[in-house]
Amino acid sequence: MSSFSRSAQQWATFARSWFLIDGRMQPPGKIASMCSVRLQGKHKPIYHPLSDIGDHVVVMNTRHIAFSGNKWEQKVYSSHTGYPGSFKQLTAAQMHKKDPTVIIKLAVYGMLPKNLTRRTMMQRLHLFPDDVLPEDILKNLTEELPQPREIPRKLSEYTQEERDTFPMLWTPPEDYRMK
Amino acid sequence: MTARGTPSRFLQSVLHNGVGRYVCQLKRISLVFSKKGQGSLGVRDFIEEGVVDFAKNNPGTVIYISPQSCRIPKIVAEYLNGNVKEEMVTNKTSQQIAELITKMSDQSGLDIIRIRKPFHTDSPSIQGQWHPFTNRPPSIEPVGQQKK
Repeated sequence: MSSFSRSAQQWATFARSWFLIDGRMQPPGKIASMCSVRLQGKHKPIYHPLSDIGDHVVVMNTRHIAFSGNKWEQKVYSSHTGYPGSFKQLTAAQMHKKDPTVIIKLAVYGMLPKNLTRRTMMQRLHLFPDDVLPEDILKNLTEELPQPREIPRKLSEYTQEERDTFPMLWTPPEDYRMK
Repeated sequence: MTARGTPSRFLQSVLHNGVGRYVCQLKRISLVFSKKGQGSLGVRDFIEEGVVDFAKNNPGTVIYISPQSCRIPKIVAEYLNGNVKEEMVTNKTSQQIAELITKMSDQSGLDIIRIRKPFHTDSPSIQGQWHPFTNRPPSIEPVGQQKK
């Protein structure tokens, strides 16, 4: 049996955790799906749709997210306020330049359930463009989540030793002329 | 009244009765009857035939025979938890009364009300209730170290 008293057990079970996600070189959709599960509390065994047990999620380095393919140019964010002539279309690169947190924010907002709890859950999402976090948020953090995508290394980050031992498909002949 | 409004309790026994040894919960039983009344005929038959055997078989139960000038004969059963139960036995045969008394001595004396679930346990979880730090490896370092 647990060593808690019953009231302390209740507080412990329903306490809110604070998760930290590093968004450096990560696809925004994968970050957003991790966030939306934790904001709803669906990662907990005590999940119930009527009980408000979502956790806080802090995403840092949102300025350094990585879209795959040609999404920076081709992905379009559209908005319309309802007034005539207010239809706006911005590409992902333009949006990111305007506000480096808005791409993650919109992705998470679209993945949350469309009901009255959506705005409350969004308030528990904390986005930071860089890796500088305020002191009060740092104190609350309980766990850093692993990044969904392994960051590929650049050629300049490999040492000369690793480059030499890299397996070669074929050995160039002596008289092979490199372009 | 709906089922939720009626009084209810959990499935239980008195002090785990019957887990180790069994203690008959019927403490005292009194047969109130009339010596002359027609409705008490069955009770008088039972007293002649079966009450001595019942008393011998149940040494933990005290039996009182109280003849009174009453119209309605009854059996008053008192249990170890203090509950008192009265049963009218007007015009019942000796056989029916014997069955009734056997039933009363088998009962625990708890209130007969709706039982919420047909199963119950006092220790619902052995490993303890879940909280955010169960099954999480312990770490000492603070999360999100900032560069100085």
